[in-house]
Amino acid sequence: MSQIMIRDRIPANELLHPGHLACPGCGGAIAMKMVLNTLGPKTIIVMPACCWTVIAGPWPQSSLGVPVYHTAFETGGAVASGIRAALDVQGDTETTVMAWAGDGGTFDIGLQALSGAAERNEDILYVCYDNEAYMNTGIQRSSATPWGAWTTTTPTIQPQGTIKKDIMAIMAAHRVPYAATACVSYPADLVEKVKRAHAIRGTRFLHILSPCPPGWKYADEQTVELGRAAVRSRIFPLLEVENGARWRFTVDHPGGDVGAYVRAQGRFRHLDEGAIAHIQEDVDARWEVLKKRVVHGT
Amino acid sequence: MAEAIPAVAVSTTTTRVNLTGSWKYIRPVWRDRVAPCNAACPVGVDIEGYMNLLREGRDSEAIDLLLRENPLPAITGRVCDHPCETACNRCSLDEGVAVHAVERALGDAALARTQGEARARRNADRIAVIGSGPAGLSAAVFLTRLGYAVTILEAAPEPGGLLRLGIPPYRLPRDVLDRQIAQIRAEGVSILCNVRMGRDLAWDTLDWFDAVFVATGAHRSRPLDVQGEELPGVHAGLEYLRRANDGHAPDLGKQVVVVGGGNTAMDCARSARRQGADVLVLYRRTREEMPAIADEITEAAAEGVRFLFLAAPIEVMEQQGRLCGVAAQRMVLGSPDASGRRRPVPSDEAPFSITADAVITAIGEEVDGAHLPFALEGGAVPVDVLGRTAAPHFFAGGDMAGHERTVAHAIGAGKRAAIGIDRHLRARRGESPPPDDVAALRWGGAGNLSMSRWRQDDPVPRIDPVNEVVEWADINAAHFAPAPRLLDWIVPPGRGRSGMREVNRGLSRSEATSEAKRCLNCGVCNDCQVCMIFCPDAAITPDPSGHGFMVDLDYCKGCGLCAAECPRGAVTMTREGL
Amino acid sequence: MKKVMVGNHAVSWGVKLARAEVISAYPITPQTQIVEELSEMVAGGDLPARFIKVESEHSAMAACIGASATGARTFTATSSQGLALMHELLHWAAGGRLPVVMADVNRALAPGWNIWTDQNDSLAQRDTGWIQLYCENNQEVLDTTILAFRLAEVVDLPVMLVLDAFYLSHTSEPVDVPDAALVDDFLPPREARHRLDTADPRSYGALVKPDAYMEMRLQQQQAMTAAGEAHERFVQDWSARTGRAWPALEAYRADDAELVLVTSGTITSTAREVVDSWRARGERVGLVKVKMFRPFPTAALRAMLRGKRRVAVLDRNISPGHGGIFAEEIRSALYDVPLDDRPALWGFILGLGGRDVTPETIDEIVVRTREAEGAPEREDIWVGVKV
Repeated sequence: MSQIMIRDRIPANELLHPGHLACPGCGGAIAMKMVLNTLGPKTIIVMPACCWTVIAGPWPQSSLGVPVYHTAFETGGAVASGIRAALDVQGDTETTVMAWAGDGGTFDIGLQALSGAAERNEDILYVCYDNEAYMNTGIQRSSATPWGAWTTTTPTIQPQGTIKKDIMAIMAAHRVPYAATACVSYPADLVEKVKRAHAIRGTRFLHILSPCPPGWKYADEQTVELGRAAVRSRIFPLLEVENGARWRFTVDHPGGDVGAYVRAQGRFRHLDEGAIAHIQEDVDARWEVLKKRVVHGT
Repeated sequence: MAEAIPAVAVSTTTTRVNLTGSWKYIRPVWRDRVAPCNAACPVGVDIEGYMNLLREGRDSEAIDLLLRENPLPAITGRVCDHPCETACNRCSLDEGVAVHAVERALGDAALARTQGEARARRNADRIAVIGSGPAGLSAAVFLTRLGYAVTILEAAPEPGGLLRLGIPPYRLPRDVLDRQIAQIRAEGVSILCNVRMGRDLAWDTLDWFDAVFVATGAHRSRPLDVQGEELPGVHAGLEYLRRANDGHAPDLGKQVVVVGGGNTAMDCARSARRQGADVLVLYRRTREEMPAIADEITEAAAEGVRFLFLAAPIEVMEQQGRLCGVAAQRMVLGSPDASGRRRPVPSDEAPFSITADAVITAIGEEVDGAHLPFALEGGAVPVDVLGRTAAPHFFAGGDMAGHERTVAHAIGAGKRAAIGIDRHLRARRGESPPPDDVAALRWGGAGNLSMSRWRQDDPVPRIDPVNEVVEWADINAAHFAPAPRLLDWIVPPGRGRSGMREVNRGLSRSEATSEAKRCLNCGVCNDCQVCMIFCPDAAITPDPSGHGFMVDLDYCKGCGLCAAECPRGAVTMTREGL
Repeated sequence: MKKVMVGNHAVSWGVKLARAEVISAYPITPQTQIVEELSEMVAGGDLPARFIKVESEHSAMAACIGASATGARTFTATSSQGLALMHELLHWAAGGRLPVVMADVNRALAPGWNIWTDQNDSLAQRDTGWIQLYCENNQEVLDTTILAFRLAEVVDLPVMLVLDAFYLSHTSEPVDVPDAALVDDFLPPREARHRLDTADPRSYGALVKPDAYMEMRLQQQQAMTAAGEAHERFVQDWSARTGRAWPALEAYRADDAELVLVTSGTITSTAREVVDSWRARGERVGLVKVKMFRPFPTAALRAMLRGKRRVAVLDRNISPGHGGIFAEEIRSALYDVPLDDRPALWGFILGLGGRDVTPETIDEIVVRTREAEGAPEREDIWVGVKV
């Protein structure tokens, strides 16, 4: 069927309250809506410092219809482990414990706790909504910031000079039962992955690309479009990995020019054609690596 | 106050207390617009509407919606040149939706349904319709539905006009035509055959009627104006078709030359081919300029009809009083003429001859101006958009009026005249003045008229509709996966007794439904929920009415994702406060 | 039931008897035996708890926070560097009003690496909002472990019980292990006032603006005050059940003392001997043992020291740039005592990094305090240092 009627595959919104404090067009808010509504009310969220610390609302408010534990930046994996242990002791194996962290809290400061939890195969769902910089503190670079990007700590005269950390390879190396990338622009794929994750016990990791209008410098209404461009151009492939071994693409990635994606964003505006060509080369090279992983995995 | 503050920062309320809607400076509005197919349809059918109903599995409602605007879908589904399909926005994605096939499937399904009861007559006005071709049938049905007593007077022994006389049964099976007309009669239309106005009955006897719609067509084949045209073996296209369709085709011999590039030429060529002849079509322009329906050209070629382009006859040759061939002149394309097509002009090459046993002329038909109650101008009856002629109470349409000569245009003209007559008579009856703005009745402001809009009883719930056509740029293609257009089932042409069997068998019902799901539903909210799914602020909810959406302006921040992601251009952002 | 056990195992037994539900810890000398023993207990099914063997002390405390916030009785143990690493989360546990119980085996901080005892690790966490209870012997360690849970859960504050590296942690003593029934009666299952519950979905720890932050901190402070009172109650309750009392402050032969030594931890036991020897010589020397450092038992201490002539505070710790930390606290507590009744106070720094504190060391302190003329010259008198 050529009309993609995704409505039947996306759970109704029940658990995200309006009035939250996300910026207009926030990809992270969409990500939460889709993930949480799929998991349902039997969910406890661990919220290390990230944009969502603000989005969830200041005391005495909460924008989420499930329990939320706000915690220190680097503790997502560990606090979630503790909650899981307590629930287990109480005989509650039904409730999902979800750590909800940004890229800083995952790739950088929270990597140790995440690695610990993953290595212990804690029965938690760890979601990284990745907006590719420390957005909540005002757009500083993280190890998830792509090469060439401007941030307030990588000024245009010396933009991000390192490549984005391959967090999926890191998670796969932990041989967690399920790890997947997703993007808010692909709701059916995202929801399907959440459902799969929900049905599995052990550490499940979801890496969700969540475009950020103020941080990436584009118009609010382009969030979904840019996510699609990232996926289609193979900058952010959508895939899943079972037990660290079986890699599988979950959507089509036609590839082609990354330029349209790059030029649509103010954070890359300083890049010349040579730099864009460099990004293309990197994307192509990584794609070749990834294709080998997928081949070997299936 | 200190008691109210707990020992730990535990929430006691939700973020609903923050009216974040105050951040926005633009807000979304849901406004249904017009799909390009609807705007391109000469009949004025809500194509998008029935496609949507089919997608939802509401087949019966889809048929009803189609019949509302087109009383002859089983016919147009077969013979219309479907400009809707070339206007289809899906052409920019992969291939246009096969509207004709879906329409045909619905039209056939409609014929198979139990006949409804005749429409109750609701007023005393009586209307005569002269001619039972597509224009006359269309006007008669619409007027009957509007509550009038309608009588069709037909000169031929059987109703259908050009549908019967000019279109071969292998394109339009006679049982389909007969059942379609039977259904029209069942709706309450009286048809009197063998009544030729100006001969069997004087025009002034029609004074008894409150209005008259004249649609007697254009039946006189235009002459070639070349030497030898009067020879036996030279046949006027329409006359040949009338006889062939009737089963009394004249003997054509082995070699037949058909002159012309329109639908009549194609029908003649294919009919002659079915008589076993070698058929060569002579056309003075190229294939690109041929006015015939592309599918028919393709089918003719597939049936073995040969084409010689850029060639015009200059003489029908004889040998011993018998037709033996055609002398022809090579043409080249010159500057564009009034129709925008490049004018063919003779080349410098010497004429050449083609062997032939018969020649069929199909270079166009003319209106026979004799016996009409009004004068022709430029070969056509001058009418306004609602079919009014210079004569009081007389309306006209179909091939005799100046529009494009297709079945669809004729049906569309009949609908316009029905609206014109209704408006005229309602005004005369002193009823509240009907809407005067014809443009508002036109799909997209420039398409044909919508009867539902005229009757103000559109069954499709529309959200603050605006009468503008959705362009490809308004469509968010990301929400549509490529899907190939489903192709009609074509059977080989029959020979002899089976020569008139239908060639194009269309799509099955289930295939038609699949094809309907290729429709993008341009401009019309179909509750796909994409706006709601992507709203970061959970500010969009389904409308309690069951159709459309509500945006909670207390929380909408005006990001515009709903409008950007709407697959079909049904959501637009507007400035706050406007 | 009497058992001979090292101090670390006394902690483990206390945790087992307290029926901790979630334990999360990371190994560090000299604490490691605590969690080794608990691992055995959990693995063997003697303690039906979940033990999360995390990758750092930071995560140990984070996991405890998560578990405690979900309503579980939660325990961890650490020492020195590990405790320092936890620092941020100690605030989180306390501000989140989570009754986590932690054993800290007092160990000096690097560099250079030092695994032996001093109190700087725990005292550096003075302002994190944790109740701190210092122990003198292994029996006190076990009893305090049990009491710590009750205290924590009643006032919704985390409790750190502190024992000296090696002098307690690795030293065997006979310990009376109370019956499980006795402990169960003393310490009922936890009933959390707040807990993460999908049936009552609330957020915890969201942004608190200046219009409410102070009130929450005020309530934390009030809880600390309440903790002092509750502790006294529970000491009496425990005493009634076991005959053993481990009060916040213990005065030893101090009633008529002119010179009072103030100690904490195992130094107390050594000091008791020194006091006895001076008493044997007819000198009016006494001792006050400080068990509870937070909340600081200001009023009780004031009452005990009021009217004494000379006070010597023995600090196995140093706040560089100022002096001994107990001494500072006691000086400040005595400030409101009228001048006539206010003792002169000498602060002594000793035993850092596990340097032996012998009866002779304490003897020297008594002598120096007795013989000092006028007001103390300096606030930190280093004892037993090589010149």
